[in-house]
Amino acid sequence: MTTLSPVGVVAGPIVVAALLLVCGRWLPRPVVDGVAILTTAAVGVSGAFLTPGAVTAGGWPAGVGIPLVVDGASRVLVTLVGTLATVALLFSWRYFSDVEAHFQGLVLLFVAGLGGFALSGDLFDMLVFFELMGACGFALAAYKIEEARSLQGGLTFGIVNSLGAYLTLCGIGLLYARTGTLGLAPLGAAHLPADTATVAAFVLVSTGWLVKAAVVPFHFWLADAHAVAPTPVCVLFSGVMAPLGVYGLARVHAVVFGALDVTVALTVLGLVTAVLGAVMCVLQRNVKRLLAYSTIAHIGTFVVAVAVSSPEASAGWLTDVVGHAGVKGALFLLVGVLLARHGSVDEIELGGSCRRSRGIAALMALGGLALAGLPPFGSALGKGLIEQAVPVPVAVVLTLVAVLTGAAVLRVALRLVGIGPLPADRADDVRTTGEGEERETRRLERLPVTMLAGPVLLLGGSLAVGLLTPGVLGAAGTALVDGAGYRDLVLGGVPPTTPPAEVAWSASGLVVGTAAAVVAVLLALGAVYAGRLPTVLRRRVPRQNRAVLGLERLHSGHVGDYVAWVFVGITALGALVLLG
Amino acid sequence: MSPRVRLVLFLLGAAGFLTTGVLAVLGAPPVGTDVHPYRDAAVAGALAHATANVVSTVNYDQRALDTLGEETILLASVTAAVALLRPADDERVDVPPPDVVRSRSPATRLAGWLLLPATLLVGLDVVLHGHLTPGGGFQGGVVLATAVHLLYLAGSFAALERLRPRRWAPVAEPVGALGFVGLGVAGSVAGVGFLGGVLPFGTLGDPLSSPTVILLNVAVGIGVGFGLVVLVAQFLRQEVLVR
Repeated sequence: MTTLSPVGVVAGPIVVAALLLVCGRWLPRPVVDGVAILTTAAVGVSGAFLTPGAVTAGGWPAGVGIPLVVDGASRVLVTLVGTLATVALLFSWRYFSDVEAHFQGLVLLFVAGLGGFALSGDLFDMLVFFELMGACGFALAAYKIEEARSLQGGLTFGIVNSLGAYLTLCGIGLLYARTGTLGLAPLGAAHLPADTATVAAFVLVSTGWLVKAAVVPFHFWLADAHAVAPTPVCVLFSGVMAPLGVYGLARVHAVVFGALDVTVALTVLGLVTAVLGAVMCVLQRNVKRLLAYSTIAHIGTFVVAVAVSSPEASAGWLTDVVGHAGVKGALFLLVGVLLARHGSVDEIELGGSCRRSRGIAALMALGGLALAGLPPFGSALGKGLIEQAVPVPVAVVLTLVAVLTGAAVLRVALRLVGIGPLPADRADDVRTTGEGEERETRRLERLPVTMLAGPVLLLGGSLAVGLLTPGVLGAAGTALVDGAGYRDLVLGGVPPTTPPAEVAWSASGLVVGTAAAVVAVLLALGAVYAGRLPTVLRRRVPRQNRAVLGLERLHSGHVGDYVAWVFVGITALGALVLLG
Repeated sequence: MSPRVRLVLFLLGAAGFLTTGVLAVLGAPPVGTDVHPYRDAAVAGALAHATANVVSTVNYDQRALDTLGEETILLASVTAAVALLRPADDERVDVPPPDVVRSRSPATRLAGWLLLPATLLVGLDVVLHGHLTPGGGFQGGVVLATAVHLLYLAGSFAALERLRPRRWAPVAEPVGALGFVGLGVAGSVAGVGFLGGVLPFGTLGDPLSSPTVILLNVAVGIGVGFGLVVLVAQFLRQEVLVR
């Protein structure tokens, strides 16, 4: 069983997907859905039971064969992948009227790609699974073919991610030329010197991961893709696909590029990402785009934690990933519920739509509070750990970023129940509205229980992470920064002996988190009632000044712009690593 | 962003990218030395498993997991194409147009019919001898798929529609991936590891040597062949029939 399990995470979903694609048109829909859900659930459960160690395909020695490596970090990520996919499939139970099993098949292949990426102990194999994620991701993003912008979003996603993959491939080529190996552990054992060629290889290899993680300025595709993708797919995109990009960065840096000091470079990239994500998040009125930018802001926080590369910071961001996935997943599903009931994802249009169903707005508000950092959610626990591990000024910025993203969601929740006046539509508004969004289901008067169970389960999961403070997250954090331990595990079969980082609440974390949640509520109320401010005061707070407009225009949806920014990003990262 | 600004931004980025490339090349080891650790490892592995084509042993034996991933990418892409090219609510599907046979020159039609069996044979040869000579499932699968579409060239769209590849090929295509994983699991069950060789390796250069590589080539050939048939059929149909 031990040898089968990590392989099963990859092979299992592929087999089931292939079977469903063969038999899908003859099977009743509940069977297709049921089998797919059982498979993803099995992936999630198996994550908890994988034994640490490396299993090399075909029994070849490391350096020739490709190992699938189970360590603390990959176990947590596999569990997360399986859990989120299960909730997403449950939510989309009988979602698309498509007679064949295309949607379920694509989700299962996506799960195989996500799981394979987390488990792979080989750089080229990571790229293969990265591409598998991509191939499924483009299709899932563009699944609602009736909308032209849906195809546009999927295409942008495809082009930018493929470009990232090619650049990563260039980096892999450079490493292979120097070392003659592709395995992560053998590459690490080659002990690359900290010279300019190593920097070049690091920058190129990281490009793909940074695109997937949506780190500024590689991030443009993410909001477009989230805005058009079906809501259950957004759960996987935001909850685990983008964080896996950060995982790739952390893993490859720790194991292969240990000699390079990238603290300054990643701190700068992370802070810029966090701040820009938070600002863009506050500006949105399309709730799906709002949540997508909030994901970018939180990704920035994760990258800052990766820059510190201490076990505590590492445990912190992995905890935050799990906590954030629960909260953000729940929020996306709630948007899915709103779309099903009211046929819109626009904040202004939806204003007052939940006066009778306050439960949805309450859940959304809870999600907003959790994003801001309210204990005892798992996201708050992780954020507290990160903030203790970084310098104080950085911690202040990250707290503010979390407050802003939480406040934006709270603002939407307040408007849903009709609190505060709705702003009038302005003709000069350059923002993308959420109008004209196609329903993903037929109009629902009564909500099926599977649709409401999802958000409740995910918020509950995030809460459970915060209440139980599971030790596996500490072990995961330690494993992810311990490059030497990883090499020993893969090449020598020796499990690491370093003690796991402590995952626990601190007094300051509890206080800061609670205060952040309070401030977020105040900001949200302020935003909602801004229209009622006396004119003198209102002039001091211009609704959209030029800088903000410029920022909005930068996110143009033009794929050529996005490609240009990828190259600017490569230049910036290279310069930062060399100078930092 | 105006085209001019975009160009300036791109040129700035490209300059940095170029610098990265130059730095990388300057730090790379010299070309053409005798030292090559991967060559030594891979060739030794190929000989140990009696596979004459070393590229095939890398693809289907030593790094078979990568190839499984690639086969799955193909499955995902084909599924994606079928899913995204499904007729949307606002599109309608025409009846097949009358045959255009008469508008094709007899020479084209004759060449098509003559090439059809030859191409099928070449495709099978490339798939089945991938462990000995250049080729394998990916290349052979493409040749096989080309053969089916010679029918369109030689005959007509209607002839291709009568074959109905659009109906059965999507069902046949995942069988390739199933076969691949099945062979992998057979390795796990036999105790030689996932995708390990279950059958005896045989003699180097023998047509039936390294049977696992042959079987994996067949699995990939099925996946790639039917996958391409689906893709071309979908696009042709979208072009010819869907309005």
